[in-house]
Amino acid sequence: MTDEPHATDEPQPSSRLGRPKSNVQRDGPSRRTRRRFLALAGSAGAAALAGCNASQAPGPQSESPTGTDADGDGGDGSDGSSADGGSGDPVGQVGSGREGRPAPGGTPMSEMPDLSGTVDVYSGRGEALVGALVEYIEDLYPDLNLRVRYGGSTDLVNTILTEGQNSPADVFYSVNAGSLGALAERDRAAELPEGVLELVRGEFRDPGGQWVGTSGRARTVPYNTEAFSESEIPDDIFAFPDASRFEDEMGWAPSYGSFQAFVTAMRILNGEEATREWLQGMLDLGIQSYSDEFAISQAIADGEIAAGFANHYYIQRVLDGRPDAPLATAFTEGDAGAVFNVAGAAVVDTADDTDMAANFVRHLLSAEAQEYFATTTFEYPLIPDVEPVGALPTIDELNPPQGLDLSELADIGPTIELLRDVGISV
Amino acid sequence: MATRSVPAVLRGGEGRELPLGLTLLAGAVAAVVLSPLVWVLASALEASGWLDLVTRPTTVRVFVNSALLVGLVTGASIALGVPMAYLTVRTDLPARRSFTVLLAMPLVIPSYIGAFAFVSAFGPRGELRDLLVPLGIEQLPSIYGLFGATLVLTLYTYPYVYITTRASLKSMDGRLVDAARTLQHTRWEAFKRVTVPQIKPAVAAGSLLTALYTLSDFGTPAIMRFDAFTRVIFVEYNDVLGGGRDLAALLSLQLVAVTFVILAVESRVRGSGVETDRTAKGSTVRLGRWRWPAFGLCAALAALALLVPLAILGLWLVRGGGGIGAESLAFRPSYALNSVGVAAIAAVVAACCALPVAYLSARSDASLAWLIERATYVGYAVPGVVMGLALVFFGARYGGALYKQGLILLPLLIFAYVVRFLPQAVGSTRASFLSVSGTLPEAARTLGRTPTRAFRDVVLPLVAPGVLGGAALVFLTTMKELPATLLLRPPEFKTLVTYIWTAQQSGHYGLAAVPALVLLGVSAVSMLVILYVEGYDVE
Repeated sequence: MTDEPHATDEPQPSSRLGRPKSNVQRDGPSRRTRRRFLALAGSAGAAALAGCNASQAPGPQSESPTGTDADGDGGDGSDGSSADGGSGDPVGQVGSGREGRPAPGGTPMSEMPDLSGTVDVYSGRGEALVGALVEYIEDLYPDLNLRVRYGGSTDLVNTILTEGQNSPADVFYSVNAGSLGALAERDRAAELPEGVLELVRGEFRDPGGQWVGTSGRARTVPYNTEAFSESEIPDDIFAFPDASRFEDEMGWAPSYGSFQAFVTAMRILNGEEATREWLQGMLDLGIQSYSDEFAISQAIADGEIAAGFANHYYIQRVLDGRPDAPLATAFTEGDAGAVFNVAGAAVVDTADDTDMAANFVRHLLSAEAQEYFATTTFEYPLIPDVEPVGALPTIDELNPPQGLDLSELADIGPTIELLRDVGISV
Repeated sequence: MATRSVPAVLRGGEGRELPLGLTLLAGAVAAVVLSPLVWVLASALEASGWLDLVTRPTTVRVFVNSALLVGLVTGASIALGVPMAYLTVRTDLPARRSFTVLLAMPLVIPSYIGAFAFVSAFGPRGELRDLLVPLGIEQLPSIYGLFGATLVLTLYTYPYVYITTRASLKSMDGRLVDAARTLQHTRWEAFKRVTVPQIKPAVAAGSLLTALYTLSDFGTPAIMRFDAFTRVIFVEYNDVLGGGRDLAALLSLQLVAVTFVILAVESRVRGSGVETDRTAKGSTVRLGRWRWPAFGLCAALAALALLVPLAILGLWLVRGGGGIGAESLAFRPSYALNSVGVAAIAAVVAACCALPVAYLSARSDASLAWLIERATYVGYAVPGVVMGLALVFFGARYGGALYKQGLILLPLLIFAYVVRFLPQAVGSTRASFLSVSGTLPEAARTLGRTPTRAFRDVVLPLVAPGVLGGAALVFLTTMKELPATLLLRPPEFKTLVTYIWTAQQSGHYGLAAVPALVLLGVSAVSMLVILYVEGYDVE
């Protein structure tokens, strides 16, 4: 990397993004950042720099290098002096955020080690979901070049394995624990530093420290509040087939990956026979098939059916567009119906700079990134300091099944056989 | 033998003799396109537990399923493609010129988009089901399974048969049919005894492309929930820890083995064809009272294949999507340029590679020439993901820092396209070589031209339309290719199909509609090129 003093031709962070990185305390990699910032910021820079040392930072309007508004619709770290965490650095905001939420707790990116150089990210998560976040991180550091290859998670694991020692991949970012587990199992993941791992609860990361969850999704029971009260939704997944009130009133999406992961969990936790009986019981109950779980949530909100099985965020997406819809979320307790799966990241063992790669993963667990997952993708943040959206319980209040290795949920082959065997078309 | 049909007089005096330079060139092309298979073979050998997998009842069952699917789709494509070709070439079908184009157009629609559209339209809670109720259709057979998979694959691959058959009908000597008619043959007898033998090689060549496409297609059986062989490959491939890649490679080799069988069958069929050196239009067949029923049939077919996906894309466009993060997915015209760029390069490279192979195979009936030509078809049957991984392996292994920096990914991607779609160029080019009399270059040589100059000055201009048609077919197929593109594109290199994939994957159907329509539009232009050059030797 060249270290030219004049960097005015650097692309500016777009104005909708929050505060550019401007940590004056550190030397080294951040020097260039600072210089550029000073060069661009002009008189506004003074106020911005002041913000680095005091939690009473000025409003976001004055932060922007160009002096224009930087999206001040609340939720920005600038009014976060009352937020817990005691962070001295303001928290930026990815995307448009959401009104009425307190500033997220946790570690802001500005307190994390700087990123620089080229980092190759193999992302099994779609560009629609994480593109804005990647762009935000890249814009934060003028010396950083994030090269993201998007693809299917399995394709990318297979690609890394096939590339062998000449793989360009530094970080593997996956939609599920299964692909991460596969990479780790093949000894292609480097161990993450303790400082990154400890940000996340033990059950949402690899016991060997080779990958860490970055956001999560809970299996839930969406229901229509005009048809049922919350107490009428069983907290035991095995109680559903026997409850005649659900006859012809429920929906599922058997061809959807998360549903198959849920059935896989049931297979692992309760055995094949119990799973077969449950599936048969639900069929006998007249459960209807949908193409995806967003459609199920819509159908419940419309009163077409009264309850179903879906990932928690589909309910939030429906409510996002229709806040008054008679739709709410229920959970089962400690069984397959309450599986909590994660998207996560690993550092590939052939990474050019494993520390840099691990620090990129660390950024995915920053206050900004976790707030982004909560408010934009409606996922569960995995650090306890950031709250999920809506009326959802916090992650510590959830009761997922104990002793389930999430990476085993990728074993869908026998699950598909089972589904077909009982006559479900997948 | 492959070229038994060509009377020796047309080939000139070369016969069994293989010109050394040409043979080496064609052999090199075949060797290069077969090279990725080395990795597939090596991986397959590493697969453990393969015997168990290959003999597992499920594997056997899906193998039978695939065979059934290939048989049905190929049969149905012939049943649709040949009559449609006949109607549009030889009869007084109303709106014949429009149908000529419309009936070929389903080929521009990627079968996975077609499958998706049919499920959206006629699946459970389908969008177009309500339209059928006034027609008295309240219950539809399930779109899923063998029926749906056959329907969709037939609708989107029968044009291979239609196009090759049309070209052959246009270039055959129509006066032969008239002659048969004067000998008191009925229309049907004349068709059976005169036309069929002449168009058989073309029908076989088109059916070959249909059959191989059906055999190796991943998307359609998956969307139509039909248990085809590729689904097992996919399940194994996903089971990374269970040795997925290796088992997938092994199963792909089984596809290759089936391909050999199909290739051998096609060789026999096309070998018995009759070729003439004269082409002339026969008289147009009057359909009489069958004119309008035939019109209705063509219209129904075109409507089903084209209007269903267009209607669904239109709905997506109007409704927009229900997904999130749309702002990171803004569509840029550069994606279309990327698509066109790589497809055009692939088409040119494939056309150049096809020339020596096709020329050799058309001019010589030696076994080696036959073998070389058939070898270029093998890559067509290897699933895109497996081909993609094979090239990833070679790139990473021998590409060093160039691979790591992503600099040789585009050449690899284009190579993958050429390996997969070369047969389409070979087929079309070979057919045009066959229609050029071998005596022409010899005449040029007696006038003092060198063999190379004789080829360039005399033969090449005559076969140019066939070469162009083959290139256009490769272009069109490359535009639609998804699995290898996803594996081998450089980071941040986006094409129309990768964009459609990204949008569709995240539920942004509204965003997928525009690039899908652009894709269809660009492909439609290349289809017009194909139709324009067909049967060029008639006019």
